[in-house]
Amino acid sequence: MKLSQILLFLALGAATLPAQTALPEAAKKKRAPAAPEGAAVPQQVVQSNSLVKVNATSQPYSLHMPWQKETPSGRRGLGVVLTGNRVLVTGQMVADATYIELELPATGQKLPAKVLAVDYEANLALLESAPSDKQQAFFAGLKPMAVDSGTRIEDKVDILQTGRVGELIKSELKIGKVLTRRYNVEGSGFLVYEANNIVRSEANSFTLPVVKGGKLVGLLLSYDSKNQVTTILPAPIIEHFLKDVADGSYEGFPSLGMELQATLDEQFRDYLGLKPDAPGVLISMVMKGGSAEKSGMKKGDILVAINGFAIDSRGDYKDPQFGALSSSHLVRGRAYVGDKVEIKVIRDGKEVTLNGELTRRKPDDYLVLPYLFDKGPRYLLMGGLLFQELSRPYLDAFGEDQRGGAILRLTRIALHPDKYEEEGRKKLVFLSLVLPTPSTQGYEKLGGQVVNKVNGKAINDLNDLADAFKNAKDSVHVVELNDFPHILYLDSFNAERDNMRLLGGAYRIGSLKRLE
Amino acid sequence: MNIRPLLSLLALALLPSALSAQPVPAPPAANQAIDTASGAWEGIVNIDVSVLMPDYREPWNAGQPSGGSGTGFLIGKNRFLTNAHVVSNATRILIRTTNDPEPHPAKIVHIAHDCDLALIEAEDGSHFDKLKPLEFGGIPQLNTEVIAIGYPIGGDRISVTRGVVSRIDFRPYSHTSVDSHLAIQVDAAINPGNSGGPVLQEGKVVGVAFQGFSGRVAQNVGYMIPVPVIKRFLKDIEDGRYDHYVDLAASDFPIENPAQAKALGTGSDGVGVMVGDVEPQGSVGDLLKIGDVILSIDENPVMNNGLVRFEGELMDMNEIVERKFAGDTIKLKYMRAGKKLEATVTLKRFDPYVRLGAQYNQRPRYIVNAGLVFQPLDRNLMDAHQMRDDTVNYVFDNFLTDKLYVERPEPVVLTNVLPDEVNTWITPYAHSIVDEINGVKIKSLKDVQTALAKKDKPFIEIILLEKNRPLVLKRELAEAAHKRIMQTYNILEDSYLGDE
Repeated sequence: MKLSQILLFLALGAATLPAQTALPEAAKKKRAPAAPEGAAVPQQVVQSNSLVKVNATSQPYSLHMPWQKETPSGRRGLGVVLTGNRVLVTGQMVADATYIELELPATGQKLPAKVLAVDYEANLALLESAPSDKQQAFFAGLKPMAVDSGTRIEDKVDILQTGRVGELIKSELKIGKVLTRRYNVEGSGFLVYEANNIVRSEANSFTLPVVKGGKLVGLLLSYDSKNQVTTILPAPIIEHFLKDVADGSYEGFPSLGMELQATLDEQFRDYLGLKPDAPGVLISMVMKGGSAEKSGMKKGDILVAINGFAIDSRGDYKDPQFGALSSSHLVRGRAYVGDKVEIKVIRDGKEVTLNGELTRRKPDDYLVLPYLFDKGPRYLLMGGLLFQELSRPYLDAFGEDQRGGAILRLTRIALHPDKYEEEGRKKLVFLSLVLPTPSTQGYEKLGGQVVNKVNGKAINDLNDLADAFKNAKDSVHVVELNDFPHILYLDSFNAERDNMRLLGGAYRIGSLKRLE
Repeated sequence: MNIRPLLSLLALALLPSALSAQPVPAPPAANQAIDTASGAWEGIVNIDVSVLMPDYREPWNAGQPSGGSGTGFLIGKNRFLTNAHVVSNATRILIRTTNDPEPHPAKIVHIAHDCDLALIEAEDGSHFDKLKPLEFGGIPQLNTEVIAIGYPIGGDRISVTRGVVSRIDFRPYSHTSVDSHLAIQVDAAINPGNSGGPVLQEGKVVGVAFQGFSGRVAQNVGYMIPVPVIKRFLKDIEDGRYDHYVDLAASDFPIENPAQAKALGTGSDGVGVMVGDVEPQGSVGDLLKIGDVILSIDENPVMNNGLVRFEGELMDMNEIVERKFAGDTIKLKYMRAGKKLEATVTLKRFDPYVRLGAQYNQRPRYIVNAGLVFQPLDRNLMDAHQMRDDTVNYVFDNFLTDKLYVERPEPVVLTNVLPDEVNTWITPYAHSIVDEINGVKIKSLKDVQTALAKKDKPFIEIILLEKNRPLVLKRELAEAAHKRIMQTYNILEDSYLGDE
């Protein structure tokens, strides 16, 4: 969708740069004016033989007409060479990629690459290239960069960019804050470094390394040029990702699956029975099937400690490296899926110790998909009625002014899925569009209604829908919706005939469904 | 005088139109072809109104003084017809005739916001005894000539514009922004200040000018309220009370699809429209079900697109209901699962609907407690507070579609938290729907009062809809702070719950 692409750019993009660093090196940011390639290099740049340009072509599927794809667009970034001839970039860099290549900044030599591992929640991806002579030659002059997780507040670090002819451009910045925040898809927060500074903008880029003393301390997450605020995806998250990838199976970042409420308000503390100086936050929600629920946590508990770290009334713990930090990092950043977790809560005035094992909630575990990359949206066409499973990207593609009526109702379901999950729905199937055919005569203006039943069968996902359409009664399909007009009738023979006409017809439909 | 932006949309608001301050001879007929006796025009008066716009943000305040001007006309002994929007929220109404500079104080006798009509009378009607009331005609034919008379912007004296009848259709009435009735479109210029003025054909009133489009949207499009709507209003008030329009409160969905027609069992004659939704508290809430087919209303066959042939014109089937009054009946023929059924339905007003439209002549209701301001959810509130909260918007937008009124007839919003030491931690929770207070489910503003009066616990506990923590105030602290907050924020009364 147009909108989401623009957002993507804003989030990541403002800072950026062409990348043409030569392998030369430069220690200081002042260097001679860009020298033409091949000319004498004025100063040495220590890091630059660990960076490669990455060019990717991105082509998402259309969310409204899911059988087709959108216009392809190019993305560029500056990847970091790691051990084993692998290249680290942001997840956004390779989202919906159709073609990825690496490029040596100095010589322009190119090499196709593919995604070895990607985590869109942690916004990280690892690229590699199939072994070949060309690959060997490409990586011959490159040196892996080490990852440094020891950054502290007040440390000075450099954002690296490359200029037109490969010269290295550095913007120095000082880490001012460490906090947790969500990256670019829905979900809980990850660790973030924040700094205030001016970043020179060279070109749009989806990946920019941040280094200190020749080691990688993070990747640029966003740069807000108006407020001059830079956020950095930090090394601890990168290390977590790399370690997870290294063991052969990627599990992702764990979460507890709960919501906290701060207890700073004295009257609220009194109401909860908390002593004035006692630590702890109120658990206001425990997600079904999450780590917290499995450990026995209940709504209304007062959380006081996780893995031996005391939780204060803001929900923070004291991190030895960063100071006060959201307790979510204790699980998400500092632990792995499968790790044991020990949680202390106060319940009915008594301290209770809960023991559990950390899990991750996968995107597909959600009623409404939080994000969708690289795959096409699932859909089913019947006689011109287009059914889809609701996803956040679908909803986000509507502008603020189009959010009334059906979209407002669907957005609300995405925010409060509990009732629908309790009904046994795995996904939320809805009528997204009506293509004009003889079968859909009179239904052209409909769209946005949730499907409850078809031919008497409850619809919990698109597979149910596909099955239900096999059982028309008296050659009429009955589709029950949760909104006006509540019932649609479709002639089953005519719908099949219209299906055949739709294939390869004016709407360029190659397949009537995508259920994989 | 301030401009009064009355009709929100592209409508004909009242603009100041100065009053004729000197006796003016009866205006000569501009064109002999217009059959209007100049004497009759004496009954067409300027209405000058002082207004107090209620303040839904600070509901304890008086509101914003403003003013406006429109037109009205004599239809009986000391009875002037005008638009509801001309005299809405009025604190003072003055009538002036075109030939007499003297202002005559007047008051509202009946006002019907749902059809934008009002009847006013002069406090001393003797000045108008000699004037001849205007008479009503019928529905004029398309492409026949009409004149609009009134006191629009552009001058002080009475004005005449001329045009033809362009269209007769069911249209939204922008005064409440939720009602639709029959309206007649004319291409005679209708401008701010014309509101409430008569539109004449052959000397008889065929409509009341009431709304138009701004020039940027369309040209030469003005609307008048036709005689059937006026007569309905006049008949409704005969018993001394206005009872409002009645409604089927069901939505119809056309039967255009062959499979749909087959499944529902309608014939090839094109008769019958599907019921797509039914309001459980509406007139047919206990009778009709989704998927029923309405075949006829009062023996008028309903076509598959919901139209009926009525008085020679194709009209929405609701026009038959429109002409009826609260307590009247209609005969409904319908089909369910292929079986033809028949029932007599007693019509009533559908109350939940009113909340969705603009309301007038009402003092805002509210309760302030320890700086927390509670107000009932309605359109006036939504407009005044520019609500952006998802839950509040959802409840307002889907009040009917998701039948939310059944559980919560009058949703209450925590609209504001006036900051004080006692409530400083809960100020971010303003703009939330209140679900429960002290264990009492909040279904109306009155429930808030009842719930706050419960003093069995040391805390006031407020549960908000879809907010993840309760708001709690220590009762003793809240009670001590209440008086202080009332003084600091200059609030004279801590609640207004209405007249009843």
